[in-house]
Amino acid sequence: MAGLAGHPPAPADAKLIRRKPGLMPWLILTPLLAWLMLFIVVPTIMLVVVSFAERDALGRVVYQFSFANYARAFNWVWLKVLAESVWYAFLTTVICMAMGYPVGYFIGRAPQRWRGVLLTLVMVPFWTSFLIRTYAWIAILSKEGLVNSLLVASGIFAEPVTLLYTPFAIVLGLVYNFLPFMILPIYTSVEKLDGAMIEAAYDLGAGPARAFSQVIIPLTSPGITAGALLVFIPSIAMFAITTLMGGGTNPTIGEVIFKQFTSGRNQPFGAALGTLLLLIFVIALWFTRRMREEH
Amino acid sequence: MKSHIVLAASLAALALAGCGKPASPTAAGEPEPTPAAKKPAPPEKTLSIFCWSEYIPPSVVDQFTKETGIKVSVENFASNEEMLAKLMAGGGRYDVIQPSEYVMGSLVKEDLLQPIDHAKIPNLKNVAPRFLSMPFDPGNKFSVPYMAGTVGIVVNTDLIKDEIKGFGDVFQEKHKQNIVVLDDAREIVTWAMITQNIPINDVSDANLEKVKPIVAKWIPLVKVYDSDSPKTALLNGDVAIGVVWGGEGAILLNENKKFKWILPAEGTHLFVDNLAIPKGAKNVDNAEAFMNFILRPDISKQISDAFPYLNTNLPARELLTPAQRANPASFPADEDIAKMQSFEDIGTQASKIDEMVTSLKAQ
Repeated sequence: MAGLAGHPPAPADAKLIRRKPGLMPWLILTPLLAWLMLFIVVPTIMLVVVSFAERDALGRVVYQFSFANYARAFNWVWLKVLAESVWYAFLTTVICMAMGYPVGYFIGRAPQRWRGVLLTLVMVPFWTSFLIRTYAWIAILSKEGLVNSLLVASGIFAEPVTLLYTPFAIVLGLVYNFLPFMILPIYTSVEKLDGAMIEAAYDLGAGPARAFSQVIIPLTSPGITAGALLVFIPSIAMFAITTLMGGGTNPTIGEVIFKQFTSGRNQPFGAALGTLLLLIFVIALWFTRRMREEH
Repeated sequence: MKSHIVLAASLAALALAGCGKPASPTAAGEPEPTPAAKKPAPPEKTLSIFCWSEYIPPSVVDQFTKETGIKVSVENFASNEEMLAKLMAGGGRYDVIQPSEYVMGSLVKEDLLQPIDHAKIPNLKNVAPRFLSMPFDPGNKFSVPYMAGTVGIVVNTDLIKDEIKGFGDVFQEKHKQNIVVLDDAREIVTWAMITQNIPINDVSDANLEKVKPIVAKWIPLVKVYDSDSPKTALLNGDVAIGVVWGGEGAILLNENKKFKWILPAEGTHLFVDNLAIPKGAKNVDNAEAFMNFILRPDISKQISDAFPYLNTNLPARELLTPAQRANPASFPADEDIAKMQSFEDIGTQASKIDEMVTSLKAQ
């Protein structure tokens, strides 16, 4: 919308010129709208409704209006869990960006014939379920695993070191899983990057650092923000990797919500935490949108 | 994985069966169908099972289909509560469910189960009397036992030399970050209650307050929480000591002599998993046939081979090897079993236990 502001004001008779959308576009849109309704709008409404309900001894939802779930949610325990999850997600995003940008840039500037191959290499891990890949990391990082065997056999360490079931393992698992989500949007931005712009920067006397920070970064910023969101948002709520590789000692918000729907037998409370998490995502999206509009 | 294939296969079979039907209405002008063709089709030979993951071997399900022609679809859950939630939401989609004792109690109380016909399950006679007519289902009106088991301690004797007798010895400062426990808040709180001689179902707020300092002391010592496969961390050498399911312990003992099984001196609890039919099930006869099949000694032995829990089937135990029978993690001594308590449903207190353990973990 912001882009429109730059255009000259529309002529007064714009209404007459504008074509009215016929039935066809709506028909084409129907599957998408149905999808959005069924799998996004309706579940979200259900989540919000349940978050104001109560539950009985067997965990069944009792539709009786109550703020109790939200009152309970604003407790330092859950806020601390949430803060820790956000911290892990933030760390994951920063590391993914530091690692993903050079890779995305390299692929985007590589000769045309190599790009396909390189992109395939980035995506190959997706052909296997992420759970299987996470279990593979367990085999690699455990005390009798690959890394430790190598470290001990080569004499670097006398004793195996603890790698698995640590915060390090959690962040490693998250970075490993989400890195392609950072590389791909950055690659798309870099591919569109006009080489003439960079040459112009050099011609005008900018050094490599300046050309990078003042030309390349701003021009590829759509890819950077898209990648950051694609990594940050799913990282917050991810619970499978954090429990498997972290050993479950530091509960994350995803794990806590999951447990409310199962062993905690408290779907309404889980729904309240889920709604709050959703609000955080909405705020994060709004924030990045604002940032983009300011540019 | 295999269960998914079975599920997909049975879904495909159902779809094919469904496709066959519309062909029956005859086109105008064709001769009247014979009376035989008008007869309702025989009842669909299908069965839908909702069971724990890693508990019913796929080979057993395949054999059931081979012998009876009943197509089986299997869906798994990882906790009683997960089963409960799906059962409440989905109603009569399942023909057989596999609840543990404490959930059985509330399912019976809430009248959510279909009574079973003992005439169709003659193999119920194979079950050890101790596991029949248990408090949660007097007279086995609604359920048959599947397997039982307990929770105990496994020690890697290569890494831990001093003697471990009970929970108090496990949760010591010197074992810090060297322990795996079940990722189950009620289990952990129960162990703490046992050390204080509090009956395990007496989860009043006062009692929870009383054990909170103990749990608070234990939690920082734990390295890994895992209910699905606590043996992994022990096998990989990431921890040296664990509080795990008996079946997991039995596998570890078979795997390596360095692992030792200890029944906690303070006491422990006995769980009994059952097969039951939810109200509204569509294939009750097939479900009863499956129950009877599971209670057959040769089938029950196959289950023990794959998942060495406490087999409740007396003739099946005779079929096990002496080594299997002597595995202390599978088969605790009778006098020990007599001392074990069993879970009852604790309703909404479960949320309090969950919050207590989560908040202590987050600290």
